[in-house]
This record gives sequence, structure tokens and C-alpha cells, in this order.
Amino acid sequence: MGHSWKNRPGPAAEMADVAAAQGLWERTRPGYRQLVPWMVAVTLVLVWAGVAASGIFPKIYVPSPLRVVRDGATLATSGFAGVTLLTDVLASVGRISAGFIAAILVGVPIGFWMATSDIVFAAIDPMLQFLRPIPPLAYIPIMIIWFGIGELSKVILIFFCTIPIIIISAMSGVRGTQETRLRVARCFGATRWQVFRHVILPSALPEIFTGMRVAIGVAWTCLVAAEMIASQSGLGAMIHTAGNEIRTGVVFVGIIFIGLIGYTMELVIRLIEKRVIPWKGKA
Amino acid sequence: MVSLQQVRKTYPAPVRGQDPLLAVDTIDLTLADGQFCSLVGPSGCGKTTILNLVGGFEQPSAGRIAASGRSVIGPGPDRAVVFQEAALLPWMTVEANLAFALTLRGGRPAANTERIAQMMEVMGLTGFERHYPYHLSGGMQQRVAIGRALLTNPEVLLMDEPFGALDAQTRSDLQRFLLELWSRLNPTVLFVTHDVEEAILLADRVVVMSPRPGRIVDDIAVNLPRPRTWDAVLNREFGELRRQVLDALRPSDSRARRLS
Repeated sequence: MGHSWKNRPGPAAEMADVAAAQGLWERTRPGYRQLVPWMVAVTLVLVWAGVAASGIFPKIYVPSPLRVVRDGATLATSGFAGVTLLTDVLASVGRISAGFIAAILVGVPIGFWMATSDIVFAAIDPMLQFLRPIPPLAYIPIMIIWFGIGELSKVILIFFCTIPIIIISAMSGVRGTQETRLRVARCFGATRWQVFRHVILPSALPEIFTGMRVAIGVAWTCLVAAEMIASQSGLGAMIHTAGNEIRTGVVFVGIIFIGLIGYTMELVIRLIEKRVIPWKGKA
Repeated sequence: MVSLQQVRKTYPAPVRGQDPLLAVDTIDLTLADGQFCSLVGPSGCGKTTILNLVGGFEQPSAGRIAASGRSVIGPGPDRAVVFQEAALLPWMTVEANLAFALTLRGGRPAANTERIAQMMEVMGLTGFERHYPYHLSGGMQQRVAIGRALLTNPEVLLMDEPFGALDAQTRSDLQRFLLELWSRLNPTVLFVTHDVEEAILLADRVVVMSPRPGRIVDDIAVNLPRPRTWDAVLNREFGELRRQVLDALRPSDSRARRLS
């Protein structure tokens, strides 16, 4: 989300972009900016290695980076507790994808419907606002009681914790449609469907994408928590089991992979965003 | 032809308990076919309200409005609108924006490609077909908006301060473009502006409105020869017209001047 402010429209953002483009660093060292994230990562790993090697903390609390890499390699090949890393990753990603895609398929139409009908809004909004402040983690026991500890309970949990975000972003996207653009379409004799297809839907897309980016982060939080409480597979389950056995290295591998996959998903959404809504923030 | 008969428009009171807001009062205005009419008045006088009423975006509280021989009940393709902001669709190319009205009327048959290319050329947009609106300057965006409005040959063109946000140079360029297009296609134009010079330079007649509630206080014929160029403003006749419009705009001022 670190870049999202840049995408916001308005003269301030434009001026910031111009300022960045004309900045001294940018002109004299064009490749410098790309290096910064890598330098930060390398520095952090070095500090970590230094702390681990110093012996201030027992190895069991702070494993060295090398140890974590070795644990990762073992996990990838022979696995942990009979499950390989790939199986755990696929289990987690599969659950997220299923719940998240379902939330988009159901949430976007509901959001559109709420934005266009006062009655639908009046019917759904109180429910939405009531459910939204409840931490999704509070649903976990109910999910387990109702749907067991299989896949279904996790997918439904992801669905419920992401759908309010999707609904609200779709609704406010539609409401943010510029009045003059609607008028242009109407004065050319556009039908209701044409107004929706050519004006409202594209206007709402940027907000929907922002909603998706927020939702994917929330989805990971919920999923890992659910897997830690009740699951045989998935990164959360792996961390939980490893924690019980004080296999700190494995816990680290799990945490690093959750971060990396979450980051990758964000990058994928950004990539799709660039393809689908290249005009975002420019008009 | 556009006609407004005894048109009034009131808005609900902004604060409960107050009287409803009378925006425009008893407007009688008839535009002949192909006439270019400017509408000037102090800000908040209801110029835009009148434009929105003719456009069909709002309904009058009393009176009748007709355009192209029909009663106005809603927006319609016989009346194209250009707003102060270009209001282009940023997800469409310049060409697609220009052809938007045609797209809405069912595809873009090959018969229209020439028409579109011709309009692109007239508007000085050739070469920018595949560009997106945010690649264009404000003046070029407004040109696309005007081309988009005129591509389907509407009988009536409604313009709401279309050049209000542009710099002087671009504004004068676009005024020239507009006059050229108008003389070719000859739509009936209702042009809202607060710029007295612009109002006179473009129009066949200048209708002046009072502060709210907006009423028509003067209706001045402009008989300057056409085609007009910017130097028409240096003309003595032009100066006389300007004085007349300004007098109508500031009745209290002129009365004060006469008394002194």
C-alpha cells in the first residue's frame, strides 16, 4: 500500500510526481531508486546475522539466517511433520484465492446494487456496518462448529472477512462517478445499461482495485489465524506445529513465506491494475 | 428552434422552514433555428439552470420548454451539451471519445470512419486518435468534447462556460474553432458565459440576466458582420454593444453614473 498515495488524483500528487521526476537524485543516479529496497533487505539480513552470531540470545530463540535457509531447503525437499512446504503454500494460496474470488464475485454486484437503489442500501447497510467491526477471528469457533476443520470453514471465513471491504469499495466507486460524465452519456441517448457499461463501471474500477488490495492483506491475516487454530495443512498450521516443537527456524521460514506471497499478490494486483485502469489518478 | 415559455424553477429550501429558492423567474426566450445566442449574467443568476432545463437534466417548476419541435421531457440526442470541464471518458481513446455518441447508437459502421476522421481533422486532432485524454492539454480535451458533441449533427448545442477554464490564447483558438464549426453545421447554440466580450464576439444576440432570481433584463441583437475575427473587439460598434451589455448587467452602477 506504500505507493497508493501516488495514485490519488489531484494537483498535489501531480506536483509530487513532477518534484520526484526533477529531483537531484533521480537525474544524477537514475538506477539508485531501484537499488534502495535491496539495500534495505541486505542490511536487515546482515543485522540479523550479526545478532544471531553474537550469541546474546540462545540459538533456539534467534536462529541465524543460514539456519533458516537450511530449514527452508529441508522443508522444500523432505517437508515438516510429513508435509512439504509446497503443499502448505498451495493449501494456503488455494483457500485465499477461493474465498477472495468468491467475495469479489458476490461483493461487487451487491455494492453496485446498493449504490443504485436506496431500498437495497437501507436493507444491507445496517447489517454490513454491524458485521464490519467484529474481528473476523471471532467467527472462527462458529465456523469450526458449523463447517468443521476442513477447507470449507477457511474459505467461508476469508469470504466473510473480505466481502465488506469489497462491497464498500464497489459502492463508493459507483457513487464517485462524475455527474458530468453521466450527463454526457444521457444526453447522447444512452440506455441505462449503456450508462452502466461505458461510464459507471469504468469509473468504479479504481476504487474496487484499491478495495481488493486492502482485502488481500486482511485475507492473509484471517487465514493464518484460522490455520493456526484448526488445520492440518497451510502455512499457519506449519508455524503453529513448529512453534509447539520450538523449531524457531521453521517458524521463520513460514513467516517469511507469508510475507513474500502477500507481497507477490499485491504486485499481481498492481500489474492487473496497470493493464485494466491505466488512467487511474490521471483523470 | 428552442423555446421557453413562462419558465420558472424553484429549488427546495436549503434550510427547513425557509422559503423555497426561486432560481429563475418567468423566462420567455425563443431561439430561431441556427441562431447563436449568448446568455450572460452575474454568477448564481440561474444561467446554468436554464441550460440544464433545456438539456432536460432538470424539470421546470412551471412553464413549457420545447426544442426541435418537441416538448423537452429529458435529455435527448437532438441537444448536445458541452460543459466547462471536457468530461471525456479517460478509459477511451481520443477517437473513441469523439465517436461516443455513434457507439451508443449501435456500433461504428464503416460508413462513419470517414466522418470521424474528418471531425478529427477539423478539430486539429489528427495524429492523436490512439492517445488517451490525459495525454492532451486542457484546450485539446475541450476540442474533443466539442467534436464529440457535434459529430452527430445535433439541432441544438448547449454550452456551459466551455472556455471558462482555459488560458486566453487557447480560449481565442477555440472560439475560432467553434465559429467555424457553427458556420458549417449551423446548430442552434445557447452559450452560457460570464465573459461579456466572448458573449458578443460569438453570438447573434446576447441575453442578459439579473441576479437571482434570474430574469431576462435585456436582449441585445449583435449585427456585426461575419465571419468575425478577434479584432472585431476593436470595432466602435463592438464597444457600443459592450457598453449596452455592461449597463444591463449593472443597472445600479449605470443609474448612479447618470445621476452624477
